[in-house]
Amino acid sequence: MSKKAAKILLVGNPNVGKSVIFNRLTGSDAVVSNYPGTTVDYTEGTFISGKQEYTVIDVPGAYSLEARDKAEEVAVRMLHEHRDATVVVVLDATRIERGLYIALETIEMGRSVLIALNMIDMAHDRKISVDDRKLQKLLGVPVVPLTAITGEGIMQLSDMIRKAQASDVKDILARAEGRASEPAQASGCAGC
Amino acid sequence: MLNSVTQVLNLKMKLSEMEFGAEGVITEINTEKQKINAMGIRVGKKLKMITKQPIKGPVVSTCGELEVAMGVDLASQVVVDVD
Repeated sequence: MSKKAAKILLVGNPNVGKSVIFNRLTGSDAVVSNYPGTTVDYTEGTFISGKQEYTVIDVPGAYSLEARDKAEEVAVRMLHEHRDATVVVVLDATRIERGLYIALETIEMGRSVLIALNMIDMAHDRKISVDDRKLQKLLGVPVVPLTAITGEGIMQLSDMIRKAQASDVKDILARAEGRASEPAQASGCAGC
Repeated sequence: MLNSVTQVLNLKMKLSEMEFGAEGVITEINTEKQKINAMGIRVGKKLKMITKQPIKGPVVSTCGELEVAMGVDLASQVVVDVD
């Protein structure tokens, strides 16, 4: 009983480790280098987790979904072409703030999102502590801390992919400002 | 000379005009904010000018953990309240 392959898009700023995560998940060898903009076109691969086959698409790095260069154009196009795909937003734990921009933009699109908090080891080394549970509560989407180059957390990531979910930026703002404490459930009458 | 005077008076100046190593808080961004917010530059953030290149070369600054390079035109749209 083989189900249809579910799609996953790996999205995030340049040089946050999207391709390393891609390689870890699919066992392939996409070119990785320590320079932003190594992935200019997209790469595709597959992996299986919990009897479900996934097609993973490694999207070029982008700072925002308002494309300003070729790589960002590809990223935006991929997001629009694969409307049914789960989006894994990869954040660099040492530079969270910048990554949150595109994360929020993706959430704003109404996509099913999961956050991969990469480079946790580097953050540790630099004495940067990231409260991933609080981030998860704030954003209302699952957050998985990991270190892609060592493979730590990759299993958790592949297990959590099916738990990806959509969130609402308005609720996120309310929680960030302390106006609401619990991730709000979608209300029954939004516009009546 | 003028630069040192403005620094004493804690005046606002363009990022492109800041001295090497000068720090300040961003007060204005006079360009489409979308463009630059996504790179981690926004009003209220502390910023330090690291280097600028001659002949209208790029300006590099650090903003928290980030190191951001931008063209001199863009840098002249960022107004900083220099310490």
